[in-house]
Amino acid sequence: MKAMPDRRPAAEPLAPIRRGALRRAFRNRYLYLMSLPFIAWAFVFTYLPLWGWVMAFQKYSPKLSVWERDWVGFDNFRTLFQDETFYLVMRNTLAMSFMALIAGFTIPIVFALLLNEVKNMAFKKTVQTISYLPHFVSWAVVAGIVSKMLSTDNGAVNDLLMALGILDEPIQWLAKGKYFWGIVTLSDVWKETGWNAIIYLAAMAGVAPELYEAAKVDGASRLRQMWHITLPGIRPTIIILMILSIGNLINIGFEKQFLLGNNLVVDYSKVLDLYALEYGIKINRISFATAINMFNSVVAIILLFTANGLFKRFTKESVF
Amino acid sequence: MSARSIRRGVPRSGGIVDVLIYTILIVMAIITLYPFLNVLAISLNDSTDSVRGGITIFPRVFSLQNYKAIFTYDTLLTGFKISLLRTVVGSLLGLISASMLAYTLARRDFQGRRFVSLYLAVTMYVTAGLIPFYILIKDLNMMNTFAVYVLPGIVSAFNVFVVRSFMDGIPYEVQESAKMDGANDFTIYWRIILPMTKPALATIGLFLAVGQWNAWFDTYLYNGSSEHLTTLQYELVKVLQSTTNNSGDYRSMTVNRAASTVSPDSVKMAITIFVSVPILLVYPFLQRYFVKGLTLGSVKG
Amino acid sequence: MATKRKWPSLILSATLFAGLLAACSGGNDGKGASSPSASPSASGSSSSPESASPSPEKLEPLTLTYYSEDVNPNWANMQDDLGKAITEKTGISIKAEFAVGDAEQKSALIAASGDYPDLIMAKTSISKFVDAGAVLDLTDLIEQHAPNIKKLFEGQMNRLKYSKTDQAIYVIPSYDGIGQQYFEAGGGMQLQHRVVKELGYPKIRTVQDFENAIKAYLAKHPKDENGNPNVGLSLIAEDWRMYIGVTNPAFLSTGGSDDGEYYVDIDTHEVTYHFRRPIEKEYFRWLNHMNAEGLLDKESFVQKYDQYKAKIATGRVLGLIDQKWDFDDGQKALKAEGKMDQAYGHYPVTLSEEYKHTAFWPTGFTGGSGIAISVDNPDPVRTIKFLDYLASDEGQVLVNWGIEGKHYNMENGKRIIPADIAERRLNDGINFQKESGLGNYNLLSAHYGDGVKDPSGNYYTQRFPEQLISDYSEVEKEVLSAYGATIWKDLFPKEDEFKLKPWGALWNIPIPSESDLVVLEEKLKNITWKRIPEAILAKPEQFDALWDKYMQEIEAAGVEKAEQLRQELLNERLALWGS
Repeated sequence: MKAMPDRRPAAEPLAPIRRGALRRAFRNRYLYLMSLPFIAWAFVFTYLPLWGWVMAFQKYSPKLSVWERDWVGFDNFRTLFQDETFYLVMRNTLAMSFMALIAGFTIPIVFALLLNEVKNMAFKKTVQTISYLPHFVSWAVVAGIVSKMLSTDNGAVNDLLMALGILDEPIQWLAKGKYFWGIVTLSDVWKETGWNAIIYLAAMAGVAPELYEAAKVDGASRLRQMWHITLPGIRPTIIILMILSIGNLINIGFEKQFLLGNNLVVDYSKVLDLYALEYGIKINRISFATAINMFNSVVAIILLFTANGLFKRFTKESVF
Repeated sequence: MSARSIRRGVPRSGGIVDVLIYTILIVMAIITLYPFLNVLAISLNDSTDSVRGGITIFPRVFSLQNYKAIFTYDTLLTGFKISLLRTVVGSLLGLISASMLAYTLARRDFQGRRFVSLYLAVTMYVTAGLIPFYILIKDLNMMNTFAVYVLPGIVSAFNVFVVRSFMDGIPYEVQESAKMDGANDFTIYWRIILPMTKPALATIGLFLAVGQWNAWFDTYLYNGSSEHLTTLQYELVKVLQSTTNNSGDYRSMTVNRAASTVSPDSVKMAITIFVSVPILLVYPFLQRYFVKGLTLGSVKG
Repeated sequence: MATKRKWPSLILSATLFAGLLAACSGGNDGKGASSPSASPSASGSSSSPESASPSPEKLEPLTLTYYSEDVNPNWANMQDDLGKAITEKTGISIKAEFAVGDAEQKSALIAASGDYPDLIMAKTSISKFVDAGAVLDLTDLIEQHAPNIKKLFEGQMNRLKYSKTDQAIYVIPSYDGIGQQYFEAGGGMQLQHRVVKELGYPKIRTVQDFENAIKAYLAKHPKDENGNPNVGLSLIAEDWRMYIGVTNPAFLSTGGSDDGEYYVDIDTHEVTYHFRRPIEKEYFRWLNHMNAEGLLDKESFVQKYDQYKAKIATGRVLGLIDQKWDFDDGQKALKAEGKMDQAYGHYPVTLSEEYKHTAFWPTGFTGGSGIAISVDNPDPVRTIKFLDYLASDEGQVLVNWGIEGKHYNMENGKRIIPADIAERRLNDGINFQKESGLGNYNLLSAHYGDGVKDPSGNYYTQRFPEQLISDYSEVEKEVLSAYGATIWKDLFPKEDEFKLKPWGALWNIPIPSESDLVVLEEKLKNITWKRIPEAILAKPEQFDALWDKYMQEIEAAGVEKAEQLRQELLNERLALWGS
């Protein structure tokens, strides 16, 4: 079963540039009108403040204006790349974001697929509403719950595993660095799956019912329908989201790692954003913080372009 | 076959698969319901008793004191009104901007398509940093205004792309026929495409609304000294921060203790519930857009 | 179909229009109220420089904007009793904004923006404002217009100066009070009352005594009545609580006083990163030993603050090393259940008899955080007079005790708080503070500390010894009398047993922002916070090796440079204050 054929007009071949281009532009005039205001808007609020990046190359001083400050060139970047903590922190960040990427795509999609199959409206709505509730509970509270559950002092997880005979003694899960990444990923899945599934559910709602009808007539099982109709139907959405998420690979924030971590697992829990906070803004090293910020943005752009390019080549879908 | 039976029936052969699916979903529902019930239970529990821990999904010593503690702050009402206003205005503005832009980008024949997509995508990953942005807001005279809540964030690239991916699924014949009827691009967008992308709009609308409703950092940064522009979340965060203490400045702790009989953790729980409730009330209205089979079918129209 | 479409678009446009209207009007509103130029005060500043008596021109109303890094959710815009009284007396009202959560960021932003509030209370972030040139030098203002502040700080004016290189006075210290005496011993090491009771009130003087008491009790009572195991000693080490529960006690119990992360020798004034003192290695070795003996809570370094308090509230934790304000929530839960004998007493435990517990080592007036006047202030003279009023005897009594007849009564020359007010203050604290304003204005200006008496013979503040005792439970009083004391502080070495520290406290010396010290200290902190828990939880045979490794690491990270930089700061301060 294929998806609907793409009948949109292809981009028109490039006719003699000048007159053809102007004529096309005139034909598209409404489209331009509809998009230009927002482009200007984005310029003012996103691109314009980027002048601030120049602070990464200066010695920041609130008293002096941008023109008056001392230039330090790439010193801040040199400090950054020579700090061994930086590499440790990058490792942690990348590890956790890869795990989050994989878990954050597979599980919500599977959940959405399952939910989509449910015919009983009441059940479907109830489960869906319940599933996104953890999204509203702050990480501070969730971290507290997770800590309690993993505790050796009557913690639910240890109690359960000992009752099942898998463990003889309780394990201090949060004290061992090697479990940390897994704990963070699982906690995130728990908290965000329902919420992340919303987009996929909405996309699935847009798949034409006729396709399913035709499939059923052909005798396809539920599983085959999912594989050949639902998934391809939401393929564009999945790919777009994947490309965009890859761009954010190192921008994962620090809240959950900070709240779930402690001093025993610090080698596994410290992430780039926390490092930036501790060595940047918190101690008033604005230039250094700006340098890390620039680094983040540049890496993100590179990742974005790479992901976009790869997907465009292999799947014909892309963000741009 | 009537439309009704199309929506209803799957042949009974999927029995075991059904059971499996239902079981998995029920388990997931229970696992995700737990933290919320836990928070609810603690919020309805006497605070001194809550410190002892061990509360699961039912309050042990029922008490409304945590909620009362929240309501002693009369700035909450203003906060509520402003939060409501910004949620509505911000979401509407965001919906219009995202859908309009998405439409222009969904049109393959739009020249600027690739450039604008790229331009927008980049905005998602570059941040100028807190200080330059702060100075920008100050220079635009948007400090201490309502505008700062809804204007800067109007363009959200993520939302644009999500809506666009939905619009990509709309067959081109629909637009073709409208064009032949003499409609211009804007009319097509407004009258035809927009109604057809309801699931997308509902989704983005939800994200926008939740984002606006939960926002407090902008209030903190830009409107901290204007009580009449305070938002609900900001007021609650203030309450929260006053009772817990995040700073390492523990030496001024003894000087600063306000007399409080309600322990901070239970107040934290009450706040979580208090803020989530409105969203939970609104959601059921949006939910029908995520239900299969509701939207398309206008191909013939 | 066309008509059906109209409704949504009408509503849409209406909402948008309303939103934009709100945006515009909100803008004008906010801008108008907060811009200092709108206030009608220009005439005030040209008055005569003489100060003390309230001249009529003072009463013209003036609103000042105020930014504070501390939170105060009970601020009622000076609409409370005290606020109104203050506004009446001085004509000044304050529009306040309090930082929320991480105040450093907000302060950095304000300092960077060039648009400053009239009054600023930025604790250690004051350096950001000084660097930005945002705050005024108050020396002349105090000299000419603030007699009460002058009197308060007599002999200590040097301690208000910013640094040796910049001897301006930017801040009027409002945290530390002049003549401050501490009555509450909230630190030391804590043992449950039932433990000392059952063992016949043994001497609890050294860590060995502490350990023996716990061991003995635990041997007899390994589980509580529900079958859950009792815990010997539990520590809290979450984030900055590491300082309170793990690292500060290391110097407090080994003869070092609180100078932040450093030890300053009282005689030679030499600065050392305190973990490098050989004696502190022995303190941590003791903790390692406690762990090896099974007396230390295995979860000490993993548990979150909530879990810690919950554990205390179950009454199973026999010993603590913490501060009262930190674990009191758990203790209150115990007391609410009537389990008074499972509450805690405070003991001045040190590593061995040769050390005295240094909780009360006197520092003299430390200066430190306080209030600053910004360059954007429309009328610095009136502002300083306002602050001066708060620091006067009349202002002090007002701010600490309230309005006579309403919040306290004068009976036979003594200030007495009526029972109903006291009760309200205890049980309805938040509302009481909002209505009366008591507690809202204490940090706004310079003040006298606890234990200092005013000309009428009454205390300036409401914290004094007699009050403490009334809060004690019967069990607590029993334990105290068994040890020959009336308040816990009696068990601790007194202030006069120590030499006064001429430098105040090392931790509140402002660090110039270009200094390498901040980065160094951050690195050192990260290493320390990783290695110390590791060393404590390791097997005893590994302790020495781990400790050596830790020492090498901090040396490689530049601890000696940090010590040297701190030494320079200390010497500067000694020079500045010494004269």
